Amino acid sequence: MDPKVLAAMQPYFSDDFYNPSAPYAPAIVVRRAYEAAKDSLGHAIGAKGDEIVMTAGATESVNLAFYSIGGHIVTANVEHHAVLEAAKQFEHTLVAADERGFVSSAAIKAAIQADTRLVSIALANNELGTIQPLRDIAEVVRTEREARLSRGDHTPIYLHSDASQGVGQLDVNVARLGVDLLTLNAAKVYGPKQVGLLWSASHVALKPQVRGGGQERGIRSGTENVAGAVGFAKALELASEHRKYESDRLGTLRDGLESKLVAAFPQAVLSGHRKHRLAGHLHISFPNLDAERVLFALESRGVLVATGSACAANKGTRSHVLTAIGLAAEVADGSLRMTLGHLSNEENMAKAAEYIIEEVGREYTRVQS
Amino acid sequence: MTKVYVGMSGGVDSSLTAALLKEQGYDVTGVYMKNWTKDLPGMKCPWADDLADAKRVAVQLGIDFKVFDFENEYKHKVVDYMIEEYKLGRTPNPDIMCNQEVKFKLFLETALEDGADMIATGHYARVEDGVLKQAVDVNKDQTYFLYRVTEKALQKTLFPLGEFTKPAVREMAKERGLYTAAKKDSQGICFVGQIGIREFLSQYVEQVAGPIIDKKSGKVLGQHDGAIFYTIGQRHGLDLGGGLPYYVVGKDMDKNEVYVTTDLNDETLWKPELTLSSVHWINAAPTEGTFKVRIRHRAPLASATLAFEGDDVKLVLHDAERAAAAGQSVVIYDGDVCIGGGIIA
Repeated sequence: MDPKVLAAMQPYFSDDFYNPSAPYAPAIVVRRAYEAAKDSLGHAIGAKGDEIVMTAGATESVNLAFYSIGGHIVTANVEHHAVLEAAKQFEHTLVAADERGFVSSAAIKAAIQADTRLVSIALANNELGTIQPLRDIAEVVRTEREARLSRGDHTPIYLHSDASQGVGQLDVNVARLGVDLLTLNAAKVYGPKQVGLLWSASHVALKPQVRGGGQERGIRSGTENVAGAVGFAKALELASEHRKYESDRLGTLRDGLESKLVAAFPQAVLSGHRKHRLAGHLHISFPNLDAERVLFALESRGVLVATGSACAANKGTRSHVLTAIGLAAEVADGSLRMTLGHLSNEENMAKAAEYIIEEVGREYTRVQS
Repeated sequence: MTKVYVGMSGGVDSSLTAALLKEQGYDVTGVYMKNWTKDLPGMKCPWADDLADAKRVAVQLGIDFKVFDFENEYKHKVVDYMIEEYKLGRTPNPDIMCNQEVKFKLFLETALEDGADMIATGHYARVEDGVLKQAVDVNKDQTYFLYRVTEKALQKTLFPLGEFTKPAVREMAKERGLYTAAKKDSQGICFVGQIGIREFLSQYVEQVAGPIIDKKSGKVLGQHDGAIFYTIGQRHGLDLGGGLPYYVVGKDMDKNEVYVTTDLNDETLWKPELTLSSVHWINAAPTEGTFKVRIRHRAPLASATLAFEGDDVKLVLHDAERAAAAGQSVVIYDGDVCIGGGIIA
């Protein structure tokens, strides 16, 4: 978490601990802080604070969106588990992404049925970093909506996007994206965990899944997580402020790392869209290696990476995204997923490249001997 | 170069075992035996973390690493056996069964087929030419759990930790910077963990209430929730209120009755004679005479006279010992050699 975020949150754990719904003056100060935080969050996505429902993270936001609107739902086979599992509760169609993890608007269009009520596509894929053509998809949804209305069909169709993954590097203005619902997660922008939001346009009716005292317009009852909202607002504010600079910076660092690794291991396979890809993402596979061994070797040297499969010897733990994009098992099992962020700089990226090359090289030597 | 497959559990003992063998010049492969993965109420099975830790150490050592999946066999040969024994009113030892059926049979056979010349584990025991000896650290000695292993298996087995004390093992792991050097030792039966055998069995057998009866007076003192949960000699968990502590001295599984007494001199608690069946000798059978015996892990060695009765063995204890329950193993020693043992009939 960003220290500035922690500092902003701190008072609401101690001095300003009052329940924002309480009637006395010190509580009203807390309520104002909470509302200001929501306004700030709204501002960051080009919306109003009272169009936002605060949640305990993106998973809850996605579920709230899905349960509010119902099926038929169109989504993609490379989506996050939160989306895939929530979609399973309804009639749904999974659109197949291409080998880059890219979901075309044409494929979405083809999957929309007369009774489709919701299309849900993430702004960017969390494993591959592939950025989805959300504006094109929004156009498809808008065209469908207009076609329905013109024939007197009032079945609504909405576009939801989980923008958690892209928010630090991409524009998340809801009007420009053309979405009806938007999910964000605080932890993805160096904010607190278990804090998220669901924005919905005024024409979308959300259905309460948690009932009680009527907080969050009655959509999500329960005493407000004031510190969480304040922290999220601060985190998103910082992310928005540095977005352009940070995106360029990370892109340069990532490209440097990528070219070093590819030069050292020409057999390496890069996944994700070459052009439409998050600046801080690098997904690279070393065929026939056990990526988990590389992960363990690197962690002891301070380089933290993720793999496309956990405990390769155990069946069934390969990433559904890598399976969806058709990556062969021996490639998928050698996959490393690297994300760069605030703490990445030229110096530590140079070290990281050096260590990765050493450890991957060591593993290739071991396997071949 | 001799190819050794080391059973790596993700603990410090097996980690150091692999490290030492590699230093001694063996061609070492680490193997995680995936035996049990089921979570129990109140206890998350740590297998995935343990597997990851074992693999981390393998990577540290630069050795090959494999996973052998014995889950079905383990359930069948160890867990089902244990549950069946309890249902018969006996007190089995699943660790002994695991060594006999899984580690020194299935693992050994699978490893040999896979190209290994030998296997090794982190047990505290010593082996010389197929002869099993107590560990140098008598406090840690694990030969009690190994008495049913065959001579043939032991000839293909290395126990490098038998020469060291546990604190020395920790120290050596630390010196080598092994990832698991400070990891806490696992407790109790591996798949039961700290929740206790009672909670484990409750998952598999129905709890049926029955009477707790005073052995002397025949009076019903209270209710229990299943005779299966009680072991002869047990003192705790009877919940009979104040006064002198009660000890379990008998059970009738058919009637679901548990018999207790406050009389510490009750003959059941101090049987001077033990009859062992399912007797196993690691090397040649001994001749009748005086030996040292151990009736539970880490119990002090006791002197006993051994005589054969057909396939069974009769032991006459020189000093009365707190009774062991049917199903428990008694392990027999000749000096520091573990020669075998049997199961209390």
